[in-house]
Amino acid sequence: MAETIRKDLEYENDPNLVHNAPTKVRVKKKIRTFKRYIPFFIMLAPGLLYLLINNYLPMFGLVIAFKDFNFVKGILGSEWVGFKNFEFLFKTQDAFIITRNTLLYNGFFIVLNTVSAVGVAILLNEIRKVFFVRLYQSIILIPFLISMVVVSYLVYAGLSVESGILNNTILPLLGLEPISWYMEPKYWPFILPIINLWKSIGFFTIIFFSAILGIDKEYYEAATLDGASKWQQIKKITIPLISPVIIMMTLLSIGRIFYSDFGLFYQVPLNSGMLYDTTNVIDTYVYRGLLQLGDIGMASAAGFYQSIVGFILVLIANLIVRKRSKDNALF
Amino acid sequence: MKYFNRLKVLFLATLLLVTACTKNESTTNSSDQSEGSNNGKEETYELVMAFPVFGPVPKDMDKVEAAINKISKEKINATVDLEPISIGAYDQQYNLMLTSNEKLDLLMVSFRTVDGLISKGSLHELDDLLEKYGDGIKQVFEPEYLNAAKHNNKHFIIPNYNEMAESNGLLIPKKYVDDYGIDLSKVTEFKDLEYVFEQIKKNNSDIAPLVPAGVGFSILDHYRWYDSLGDSIGVLPNYDNDLQVVNLYETHEYEEHLNLLRKWYEAGYIMKDAATNQDSQIDLLKSGRGAALISGMKPGIAEDESIKFGMEMVATPLTEAYSTTRNVVGLNWGIPITSENPEKAMQFLDLMFSNEEIARLLHWGIEGEHYVEVSENVIDYPEGVDGSNSGYALNQNWMFGNQFGSGYVWNGTSPKLAQDYKEFNQTAHLSKALGFTFNAEPVRNEYTAVSNVIDQYKLSLETGSVDPDEVLPEFISKLKAAGIDTIIKEKQKQLDEWASHQ
Amino acid sequence: MTKETRRWQWISHICLASISIFCIIPFLLLIISSISDEMSILQNGYSFLPESFSRDAYLYLWEQRGQLIRAYGITIFVTVVGTSIGLALTALLAYPLSRKDLPLGKFFTFLVFFTLLFNGGLVPTYYVYTQIFDIKNTIWALIIPVLLVNGFNVLLMRTFFMNTIPDAVLESARIDGAGEFRAFFSIVLPLSLPILATIGLLQTIMYWNDWMNGLIYLTDPSLYSIQNILNRILTDIQFLTSNSDYAAQSGKTISQLPSATIRMAIAVVGILPIIVAYPFFQKYLVKGITIGSVK
Repeated sequence: MAETIRKDLEYENDPNLVHNAPTKVRVKKKIRTFKRYIPFFIMLAPGLLYLLINNYLPMFGLVIAFKDFNFVKGILGSEWVGFKNFEFLFKTQDAFIITRNTLLYNGFFIVLNTVSAVGVAILLNEIRKVFFVRLYQSIILIPFLISMVVVSYLVYAGLSVESGILNNTILPLLGLEPISWYMEPKYWPFILPIINLWKSIGFFTIIFFSAILGIDKEYYEAATLDGASKWQQIKKITIPLISPVIIMMTLLSIGRIFYSDFGLFYQVPLNSGMLYDTTNVIDTYVYRGLLQLGDIGMASAAGFYQSIVGFILVLIANLIVRKRSKDNALF
Repeated sequence: MKYFNRLKVLFLATLLLVTACTKNESTTNSSDQSEGSNNGKEETYELVMAFPVFGPVPKDMDKVEAAINKISKEKINATVDLEPISIGAYDQQYNLMLTSNEKLDLLMVSFRTVDGLISKGSLHELDDLLEKYGDGIKQVFEPEYLNAAKHNNKHFIIPNYNEMAESNGLLIPKKYVDDYGIDLSKVTEFKDLEYVFEQIKKNNSDIAPLVPAGVGFSILDHYRWYDSLGDSIGVLPNYDNDLQVVNLYETHEYEEHLNLLRKWYEAGYIMKDAATNQDSQIDLLKSGRGAALISGMKPGIAEDESIKFGMEMVATPLTEAYSTTRNVVGLNWGIPITSENPEKAMQFLDLMFSNEEIARLLHWGIEGEHYVEVSENVIDYPEGVDGSNSGYALNQNWMFGNQFGSGYVWNGTSPKLAQDYKEFNQTAHLSKALGFTFNAEPVRNEYTAVSNVIDQYKLSLETGSVDPDEVLPEFISKLKAAGIDTIIKEKQKQLDEWASHQ
Repeated sequence: MTKETRRWQWISHICLASISIFCIIPFLLLIISSISDEMSILQNGYSFLPESFSRDAYLYLWEQRGQLIRAYGITIFVTVVGTSIGLALTALLAYPLSRKDLPLGKFFTFLVFFTLLFNGGLVPTYYVYTQIFDIKNTIWALIIPVLLVNGFNVLLMRTFFMNTIPDAVLESARIDGAGEFRAFFSIVLPLSLPILATIGLLQTIMYWNDWMNGLIYLTDPSLYSIQNILNRILTDIQFLTSNSDYAAQSGKTISQLPSATIRMAIAVVGILPIIVAYPFFQKYLVKGITIGSVK
């Protein structure tokens, strides 16, 4: 029933159909449709205005990436230098390592976080006692509230050679030799995703859980009547119905795939040089390189480069999503 | 369609931007006019003065400010608006203020940032002003040091006057020296330290005799036999080397020091996680995990450090005192181009260096309230007041002009500290490149790459944590690949250029 | 309860309990370290069972209670005001975007999305807010920049709306003669409580944990939020330990830097209130909205 009504509505509002009407009618109809949407535009206005001021107005600053910034001349008056500020990102032997690390870690984070959080959200949804739902949810969210600097202290408390719990208590219990965690790059491709998962699983779980909460209960009731097992219900109802949220979250993460959590890659490994092979990412490289120079042109260039690559990747990903299901695409 | 949309956005943004800029222009114009029309009777000018604080902002800042203004208004018809900014936010804050043209008349800049600020044109040239208003400043400095603060033969900054040179040495609690019978007179150079560590280890096997002098520092950060020329990328060995810049990391001395450190590390003389330790040197020594450290030396260091560590410390110098540009221009005052009245700013700077009253207020606060004189020229907290409840416990006298400009020293330090400093500065050897500053702008691509490579290897090598036989060649070849030779060549070029003007 | 349901209950409880333990253990370490004796950490390392306990870290913070209490007040004000306004703007923006039939809908969505990837950077943002709007050293500096409407939240809410509000419900409201605003307030919002609670929670956490705005726009310490104060202490440590220019000069000050236990106590003090506030949001995260009942 609901389906047919939805179809009807789409039919009526489909702009492609309006196109076929004779011109006069089309214009009239356009005005009428537009009038109908005025309340929507009023709703949009304050939020868009804010974004315009907060995000679009300062975007003139993007030109800094292409300028030799000078205080006397100001941002707009400084000289154009083309792509000179970008050179340092590519003219280095580390370009491959930092790009590889950034992409691999972030790609892995996207998969790991999504899969685990969807799983946890589904399990939460199975719990019948409200008390336990709340308890689990609260606990899982706690790490998200802890700032990365503090996380780095906690990781240090666990991994430090001399005063860490792992080396002092746990490894001896297992009869293992202490390990210099901060000197051995090979452990970090495991340590970093674990920390990242620990910290962000609560955030993702909440989002997916509230998506599941939004699912109409009737579907499950009908499925149960039809004798569907839990597993089938999850596969056939829950996941398909929250997939728009999963897809959107993934698209947004892809857009930021060239950015990485600076605290996670800089503070948590204590900036230990021996770990650079597995912890150096674009953000940390840029930070270390510019600490002395303090060149805002080069810093902007790095940001611009990260954004533009993410942007292209999202456009591609969005195109693919669009091919499959128009509604799930971002735009 | 999407392209069209984006164009629209761009257009909108530009429109808003243009309105924004015009607004700004009109305001600057009007302020120019108002300045011009006031020629007859000069209005009192308010100077905005930004500087970092290393803890919470003192709550009596306003009182101190008012007391200063009373004097400065009378002397130079200007008042000052003190703008303390916490150190973690400082660089970012003043950069934002400068880029958005906020009024700022006096700015404290550190060595690391000063070169960038000058080359990006954000500081006023000071030669004329110094000539006109800077007699008080000139009196404080030995001429060679004030000269050393020049960039491209012009003054852009006025350094603070404190220790203008540095020597390196060993700091060790007196109790270890006494208990373990360590004869410090036997220790005169770096490799002699082995004897000290041996003695300590022999008597107390749990302790790491040598710890880094701070979190994130290597052992060699505080032991130098060369002029780092700012950044240790291309150095002058023995502070001279006939002005031939060399790659420190390729030198024989560097390798020798690394080998020694490695030997010490393997013998257990250096703490195990020296490269990644997060506990301060003070905590390490207090808790008995570490015994000694190599640190920079200056007059009165043993007393200073004894207060800091909460136990009696002994200092043994290992090198003679040398002065390099970096020692002179550690922390400086500049007048940003956003200042509307650089003349007044300079006059106030001069006052800060030469007027005892103002120096006392900035350094220690208000007499009777924040300090009292306990004996001649020695001050302490008034009764019932201590560091935790004083309204002005800034303790940053080394940041406001002449460190000893107030004529006071704090209780517990030597009353003749001022003379000791003067003597220290006057007798220190001068590096042949004193006054040279490197501008990394022409080689900035190489510079970022090389900075990354140094970050990667330095700390673990210079704490003995890794084997130099294996890692040092790797380090050097990565430096080469990153373009260190290009930087050194550029540095040599600039140094030659600088030398030709001396 | 069927056998299958019971089995799922067990599986869920076991999995979630272990994940909870995984999440809470480091947090316990944080609390235990904050009440451990400094010297026992330095000498014996970190431990879940320290040799001796000490209140010193909290006494240190208690000494600054005047400032801390004021800062809590500011944080609460900023969080409440910011979250309310932000949530309203976000919902108002997200709802029309969720309508598949909105003219230029995709374009507006793109506008929102674009802000997530590109930004002009700190300098121009600061310029706009200080030179055009003059919010430096005002309480608005903690509320308005960056945090008020976040593109991510808007897109998330849009997807939620698209997902959970059937067009049929809205159409039937329209047939009943309700205007778009009334439909929004009396039908869409009540149906979206879990969504609003979720986004509201994310906004609250953002405001609560924010220290960037304070760092950039405030030089007047009387306006500091709690995170500004706590973070000032932490960033000072970071800065001084990584910056040799100052470190050499400021030896005396470095010795007064807070120790490991104080850092841990600072973190606890910053997090606890928001954990306490959490159940408020959970009230709205309730299961079993049956949209059918509205029909």
